[in-house]
Amino acid sequence: MNPMHQFEIVKLHPLAAGGYDISFTNSALWMAIALGAIAIFMFVGTAKPQLVPGRWQAAVEYVYDFVASMLDENVGPEGKRYAPLIFAVFMFVLVCNLLGLLPWVGAFTPTSHVTVTIGLAFIVFTVVCVVGFMRHGLHFFSLFWPKDANIVLGLFVFVIEVLSFLSRPFTLAIRLFANMTAGHVLLKVFGTFVVALGSFNALPYVFGVLPLAVNVALTALELLIAVVQAYVFALLASLYLNDAVNLH
Amino acid sequence: MPQFDFTNVFWPQLFWLALFFIVLYFGIVRLTLPRLGKVMDERAAKIDGDLEAARAAKESADELTERYRAELEKSRDEARSNIAAAKAEAAKASEVRLARADAESAAQIEAAEARIADASAKAHGSLRGVAVEGAQAIVAKLTGSEPSADAVSSAVDAAMAR
Repeated sequence: MNPMHQFEIVKLHPLAAGGYDISFTNSALWMAIALGAIAIFMFVGTAKPQLVPGRWQAAVEYVYDFVASMLDENVGPEGKRYAPLIFAVFMFVLVCNLLGLLPWVGAFTPTSHVTVTIGLAFIVFTVVCVVGFMRHGLHFFSLFWPKDANIVLGLFVFVIEVLSFLSRPFTLAIRLFANMTAGHVLLKVFGTFVVALGSFNALPYVFGVLPLAVNVALTALELLIAVVQAYVFALLASLYLNDAVNLH
Repeated sequence: MPQFDFTNVFWPQLFWLALFFIVLYFGIVRLTLPRLGKVMDERAAKIDGDLEAARAAKESADELTERYRAELEKSRDEARSNIAAAKAEAAKASEVRLARADAESAAQIEAAEARIADASAKAHGSLRGVAVEGAQAIVAKLTGSEPSADAVSSAVDAAMAR
């Protein structure tokens, strides 16, 4: 079986608007499922906010506190305003990553598609640019200028800094996409090993146990990676926001 | 890789991502998080207030303890001085009583001594009479003649003077 088959986009409901193909695909379906899961998590968790939280509320608060303290550490007191945005990005990436690991149900991982991750990265990048120019105007360009440098060296560093700034959404997107894709390919490869080795006629199933055990361990690792990559995405987003808010 | 088949993959995903993210941000997160944030702020304020109250209570308790200790020390001092005064008073009273008893017993002793002296003087007097009578009887028995009372008494006086 082709391990890349799992990334195939299937059009569930072909649609087009203004010459653009906007079909409802399996990717969109799993984004919608992620959205529904987040909606349940959020609305149940905050249905009746109590001073002494119940389990759901404590769970939502835990995630919110995690994002808020991350922003507080990296951006400072100003960062709290952007908590909903970073929270939304973090939750979306996290839930898409985690849902993609569900076995049996034919789960699709939207974050294993560079289109989705670059879309998310450009949301962050756009917000960073807008915040930067709104707060500092053209002074925002001083972000790229090294302090106390002579003109020649300064120009040189300026070019590098601008390039690195412009490459941020791409590195952000490719990091997440590559991690997700690699993990799912690995899982699929070992899954095919289970089938291939387990079908030996002499001793049925025995040889398939080893790759199955590896797959169990890999699933645990992929769970970790799913959480860590969502964290990394949100962390980098808050670091970029810090540049826009504080200009170093 | 299907991911790089952008003609089939790019716009459908981007459109739905944009739509879902807008729903997520404005329809879910912006509606729910502020409510939670408010409660969390309230909780933080309440915890801070409770901590402040606890700190104040502890301070007042400390102050109370200090006052209690000071009062205890004071009353202990008072008690000590009371005890000392009582002791001194008792000592003085017993001294007085002792002195009075001394005086009384001295008077009694004096009276008794006087009585003894009296008795002994009386005894001396009667001894002389007995001696005189005895001597008179002895002389009468030995000589057969009654000696004169004067002679006997002078002889007894002479013997007693010795």
